[in-house]
Amino acid sequence: MRGLRLICYVLIFFTMAAAATLTPTRRKLDIESFEFVWKRIQDRFWDPEQLGGKGGKLDWQAVHDELLPKMQQAATEGEAIGVLDEMIGRLRLTHFAILSSDVYSDLDGPSGGEGTTGLDVRFIEGKPLVTSVRAGVDARLGWEIVRIDQQALAPVLERVARTYANTTIREMMLVRAVTARLSGPVGAPVQIEFLDGQNRSVKRRIPRNSPRGEVTHFGLMPPTSVWYDSRKLSGDVGYFTFNLFLDPGRLMPAFEDAVRNCASCAGMIVDLRGNPGGLGVMSMGMAGFFIEDTGRELGTMYMRNLPIKFVINPRQPLYKGPLAILVDGLSASTSEIFAGGLKDLGRARIFGSRTAGAALPSVIEKLPNGDAFQYAQANYVSEGGKALEGLGLQPDVAVENRRDDLLAGRDRVLQAAVDWVHTQRKAN
Amino acid sequence: MRLLASLLTFTAFLSAASDLPKAEAILDKYVEVTGGKEAYDKIHSSISNGTMEIPAQNIKGTVTVYNAEPAMEYTVIEIGGLGKMEEGTDGNVAWALSAMQGARIKEGDERAAALKSANFKNRAHWQDFYKGAETVGTESVDGKSCYKIVLTPKEGKPETEYYDKSSGLLVKQTATLKTPMGEIPVETSVAGYRKESGLLVPHKMQQNAMGQQFEISIDSIKMNADIPKDRFDLPAEIKALQAKSK
Repeated sequence: MRGLRLICYVLIFFTMAAAATLTPTRRKLDIESFEFVWKRIQDRFWDPEQLGGKGGKLDWQAVHDELLPKMQQAATEGEAIGVLDEMIGRLRLTHFAILSSDVYSDLDGPSGGEGTTGLDVRFIEGKPLVTSVRAGVDARLGWEIVRIDQQALAPVLERVARTYANTTIREMMLVRAVTARLSGPVGAPVQIEFLDGQNRSVKRRIPRNSPRGEVTHFGLMPPTSVWYDSRKLSGDVGYFTFNLFLDPGRLMPAFEDAVRNCASCAGMIVDLRGNPGGLGVMSMGMAGFFIEDTGRELGTMYMRNLPIKFVINPRQPLYKGPLAILVDGLSASTSEIFAGGLKDLGRARIFGSRTAGAALPSVIEKLPNGDAFQYAQANYVSEGGKALEGLGLQPDVAVENRRDDLLAGRDRVLQAAVDWVHTQRKAN
Repeated sequence: MRLLASLLTFTAFLSAASDLPKAEAILDKYVEVTGGKEAYDKIHSSISNGTMEIPAQNIKGTVTVYNAEPAMEYTVIEIGGLGKMEEGTDGNVAWALSAMQGARIKEGDERAAALKSANFKNRAHWQDFYKGAETVGTESVDGKSCYKIVLTPKEGKPETEYYDKSSGLLVKQTATLKTPMGEIPVETSVAGYRKESGLLVPHKMQQNAMGQQFEISIDSIKMNADIPKDRFDLPAEIKALQAKSK
């Protein structure tokens, strides 16, 4: 028996070593991947001057020439990925990443399907906590999700957290890894193990239903559900929230109605927490309800040799009262453009936590070696002169919900905005 | 030796330049091969129906354009997921309106470009709209040898047009579109010429702008169509903007 175990150890060691050492085919694919990544940046980076090597700027050709021999000599898969990481690291931008094939599948989850559990999730105090529960779903705010369909989340989240450790999209990717596992075919239930408020294990079988809202079809996007919630909070404060900047034919009139109905409100709150963006042009259209003067801009998008100004088009009804915008680490793209621009123009006060720093949709392309390359194709500079890409928008008032808040049914971020609105009313 | 080579190059350049026809002749030939000035002058209104597509993103919609002399235009584009986008001019005020962006009155070069585009005489009487035109060379466009001419409008930036040497037809245009978002270079390929009421009219256009490719296909054109008088009236939202600015 002891001899058999020894053979097993030797076999395991041998197979591990074989897996770690690059075959000629794998080395060829890694070199092709190196060239792919280098050329994508060379061809598509928004500011070619930054790569030209003049005036102390990065010499992208020199980076290629220096690192290619390293890639050719890489002895293990880890070394090969290290060379790719080193190459994109020279850009000193956080929105570029090499995703190993296992992390890529972590983000997508195993199920696929449009069905959702009606649970919303955020990373709070380092844990995936339930932050909203659709009516009728047997779960509570503040519960921690630890296992989905028998799969423990911790190892998955550890890998994702490591990959995105130094980026602003870390929380977004962690939540994506959880929600991808919660979603699945409509009608197929999901088994979830939670830790309740006392950290006791609670298991629930939760059905997956059609997502909230109305389905919209736009281009190559899969059918997407868009919802909004427009209401008045106590103290005469208007509140509008929506999940995506899409379906303008339905969303823009609803937003217009919300502004019209709030003509004499003490203040208005636009809640963009969890909103990953959508059609950029809608940010300009929505901002038009809050800006009276023509010629004002939310910011500028710099595509290759083509600056595009996000000009606000003033429109009726105009709301001149206090405006608060709520954001978090999942507020991205158009949400950041809208909130960042109105902040810079001094028109809105921002509450919550740093946004995702993904002002522009980044592209993920599969590499010849099976890994993936995530990169941004443009830069966006908000009206105040700050880039959002890879940096995110810092709120004026940094405030986050804690687990205790969720368990008690409090929304500390919303309350901070409401309190500010009332101080504005008193001041005026 | 070097001097001789330079002289030969210079002579060849002079020879090539002098071989080129004048831009006026190329533009007049276009009017002639597409029906002639008389045929153009007989058209007083039109309604065009077609489709618009961004193939790379699978975005499709319909487009309808109403035109009437001297320079009135109303365009409505409807795209699933985006809703209705309208643009127009009553010959004086040029405007745009959409659910996404609201109402907007075009100013300056953007207004001038809209009025020029809406004008029925912008081809047959091109001299009324451009300060000058110059043939700057020849270039191959989709395998067709073309004359390249640069037109300088009375307002706005120069436009470049490419005319097929053998057919005399316009095949490509490049221009800079001035918008509130900035100056956007636009390249338009023109094809699918078909006769409509005595005029040879392009029915296919492919535009490249901001890294996107747009395809416009005109299915039907009704010349001298009856268009309701109020078709070119300014929308209420535009009138409200006018009233506010007074």
